[in-house]
Amino acid sequence: MFFLKKAENWFVWIFFPLALLLPLFLEQNEFYVNKLTSVVIFAMFVMSLDYLVGRCGMITLGHSMFYGLGGYLFIMIAPEYEAVNFWVYTFYICVIAALIALVVGVIVLRTSGIYMIMITLAIAQMCFYFFSDSVEFGGNDGLFIFTKPDTSLFGLSFFNLDDPMHFYYFCLLSLFNCLVFWKVVTGSRFGRIMEAVKDNPARTTALGYNVFLFRLISYCMASALAAYAGYLFALQYGYVNPSMMSWQTSGTALVMSILGGMGSLYGAILGTVVYEGLHYTFEHLTQHWLLLMGSMIIAMVMLFKSGLAGVIDNLVERRK
Amino acid sequence: MKKHTSLLTLASALIVSLAGWSAPTAAADKPIKVGVMLPFSGVYAALGDAGRNGMKLALEQHADKLHGRNIEFIEMDTEARPDRAPEIATSLMSQKKADFIIGPVHSGVAMGMLKVLRNKKPVVIIPNAGANAATGPWCAPNVFRTSFSAWQPSYPMGKAALDKGYKKVVTMSWNYGFGKESLAAFEESFKAGGGKVLKKIMVPFPKTEFQSYITDIASLKPDAVFVFFAGGGAVKFVKDYNAMGLSGKIPLLGSGFLTEGTLTAQGDAAEGVITGLHYADGLDNPANHAFRADYEKAFGKPADLYAVQGYDTGLLIAMAVDQLKGNISDQGKLIQTMESLTIPSPRGDFTFSRAHNPIQTIYLRTVENGENRVIGVAAEALEDPARGCKMK
Amino acid sequence: MDFAIFLVQLLNGLQYGLLLFLIASGLTLVFGVMGILNLAHGSMYMVGAYLVWYFFQLTDQFLLSALISAALALGLGVLIEKTLIHRLYKRNHLDQVLLTIGMIFVFNALQSILWGDDPLGVPVPELLSGSIHLTELVEYPVYRLFVAALCLLLAGALYLVINRTRIGMLIRAGESNREMVECLGVNINQLYTLVFGAGVMLAALAGVVAAPMISIVPGMGEHVLITCFVVVVIGGMGSIKGAFVAALLVGVVDTFASVLVPGVSSMIVYILMAVILLIKPEGLFSSQK
Repeated sequence: MFFLKKAENWFVWIFFPLALLLPLFLEQNEFYVNKLTSVVIFAMFVMSLDYLVGRCGMITLGHSMFYGLGGYLFIMIAPEYEAVNFWVYTFYICVIAALIALVVGVIVLRTSGIYMIMITLAIAQMCFYFFSDSVEFGGNDGLFIFTKPDTSLFGLSFFNLDDPMHFYYFCLLSLFNCLVFWKVVTGSRFGRIMEAVKDNPARTTALGYNVFLFRLISYCMASALAAYAGYLFALQYGYVNPSMMSWQTSGTALVMSILGGMGSLYGAILGTVVYEGLHYTFEHLTQHWLLLMGSMIIAMVMLFKSGLAGVIDNLVERRK
Repeated sequence: MKKHTSLLTLASALIVSLAGWSAPTAAADKPIKVGVMLPFSGVYAALGDAGRNGMKLALEQHADKLHGRNIEFIEMDTEARPDRAPEIATSLMSQKKADFIIGPVHSGVAMGMLKVLRNKKPVVIIPNAGANAATGPWCAPNVFRTSFSAWQPSYPMGKAALDKGYKKVVTMSWNYGFGKESLAAFEESFKAGGGKVLKKIMVPFPKTEFQSYITDIASLKPDAVFVFFAGGGAVKFVKDYNAMGLSGKIPLLGSGFLTEGTLTAQGDAAEGVITGLHYADGLDNPANHAFRADYEKAFGKPADLYAVQGYDTGLLIAMAVDQLKGNISDQGKLIQTMESLTIPSPRGDFTFSRAHNPIQTIYLRTVENGENRVIGVAAEALEDPARGCKMK
Repeated sequence: MDFAIFLVQLLNGLQYGLLLFLIASGLTLVFGVMGILNLAHGSMYMVGAYLVWYFFQLTDQFLLSALISAALALGLGVLIEKTLIHRLYKRNHLDQVLLTIGMIFVFNALQSILWGDDPLGVPVPELLSGSIHLTELVEYPVYRLFVAALCLLLAGALYLVINRTRIGMLIRAGESNREMVECLGVNINQLYTLVFGAGVMLAALAGVVAAPMISIVPGMGEHVLITCFVVVVIGGMGSIKGAFVAALLVGVVDTFASVLVPGVSSMIVYILMAVILLIKPEGLFSSQK
């Protein structure tokens, strides 16, 4: 299988069955399913960031741009009052996002480290202000999506986007596919070269590989999947807003990814679930939830050397 | 040892994060559930606090009118983040089964919230967010507003400026929905009366470095300046305007939020600023005097506009429940009752328009000795045109 | 734009730039010497402003309040370094990012609990409350000129300390080769504590002197943080000189752009940064190799 490491295997076998069954045990109302859905969607976004940062060593603080673009691209290219085909537009959005990433990547990949963080931030901020200042895209107040796409494939309809339960399972499946996709990528020859690029770009170049090209392809893939997550988020409630692209969104995703264990991929799911869970609990506990949240983050970073995934790794591997 | 602590922290993090998911929500003997979605952290936190305080005060004072039903508050922090609004709204509606949902402050959050709540079971009462659309194109039977539309406080100011003899003005605000709508409303009446807008300055939100813009205004030498800013930005703008020596030379007009809840921080800089709003601290009516005294006693600080709007939201709920003798299960009846009410607000009595926005008087006020003093009425019983609203 | 107005705008830009420098200098100093990316730097600016407001309410003395606040900020910086940052030197940058984001949350919460959420203001000190006529309409407040002068003075002082004193020598040595400095028997831990404390104090000091000119509101730290990072990156991470030039550049460009090209003024500093990084990927005066 793709999940070679023991800890990873454990996690996949516990998380996905649990996530499959969870809606059956939760109180039967729209909220829980919707909440789980948004966590699952965000985990996809975090995972694409996790690949970039943890596996390619490209730290970006502008990834939210693609997340937001996923939603806005749909509004830009789809007719307002006509149901379009979900799969076709998924394809369009991912391809357009990848093309945008290609152009942006050529610019940002000239830099590295902190400079790359800042230049990605700069480009994302420009994009944020473009939508936030715009008149035709609803400006700061955002826009509604009135007609959700139709999901039939070759005339067969599998599920209904308006049913929260259907949508949840679809997103969960997408998350699983994303995880498999990234595992395949990292396990392939391409992934191994990427690993070499991350550890020692100079030597990889000397071996005759075009480091820039490898980085660029990785950047495009991660951006396309981030846009896919953003597209799903926009469809969930039928609402897009520039705050999806704010640097705080990138920052939160980065926090989740580091919390989960940078580069472990499944840690992205772990980080997102734990962060969202803590957030949910604390905000129901007190108005000053920020204090608890902040303290918890500080405590975790002080105690866990490589995130939550690191802790699980330790536990599982030790029991061998 | 280290391992144990880290294990413990991990375990507690997991338990805490899981515990939240399964918290029971069973209702005992059916209190009226009031879901509150206001910003309690970040830039708008002060507005959220005041609105909530006002509402609680009203519901405590009128506890006897609730026909024995208790009120249960469920408070959620919106963080003024529009992207979280649909989720929180769903939570209050489906998970907490709120009868009323109160919120928000921020117009963007209002849009995200209405997307989920329009034409649904809970009755939504907006205690601040002024986006015209909420009682315009997106109006709905179950959505009420106790505050204002962006159009309301600004529209009469165009005429007020002309009355004072100002023909050429510069307008300025943050470049976001509410600001744009405020300036548009001002221009509507100002241009209709033959006034000329020399320049419209849109400042990126939430930038507060205003000096260059103010210098620009000085170079244009208009008769007056009309601005929309609120909260911290309003404080900074008024201070900068004064510091650059323009106050007293080029009159400063504004939508009333410019000097609302900000006067202590603005200090002397705000003296003489003229604004239009549906409320003023010094309004001379018994309801206002009583409200201000009670509010100060209960919360230890003077009431502001946001507290008044929260208070009226509480009044609206209490009066509706009273008229229906505590039985609010029939949504149609509840909405009908609410539509018919006249709210004895500290701002003066008001009723609701067909789009459920207050029909209210806009006062002309000027700042004197650190207080908003009423100097006249800018528009009597002003009704928002509710453009695009299909409700009858 | 006539010439007098042009000069006033230039003054606006320089004054804004100088204040930016004061905030950014601590950030770049800490990064240059310790390699720590302190995202909570903006929170320190906020803490400075709130502290001076608080002590001003108690004492009614601006200077005294300013001194107390600066001293407390130094203490706070030392405390944070000793208890938290200290343990993370051997970890990667991302753990530091996570830690300092946690700190932002905590500081924002404490601000809300201790001082409430209303916008606050501090009056300009009596002695400096006058203003100077520049054109027939425009006046310039003395306090802002004073702040500009103070920032210049501090910039000069920082320059002297780093280039002319023993501590400065150690700082420069630490920047280029920290292992070597350690081998030479210098207590690098103490140096780090001192530098971090100084960084926090500079940010807080900026908050203190800015307090009479701004509105003290929740979230003011994050807003300034991003602009500061832009300044530091344009100047070259770790370079005080670079931060100075970049701050003035950002101040002036932002000021003129907001009047001349309002359509892109929200993006202008980011465009500036992107362009500079494309030409010089390491910033104007990078001290990192």
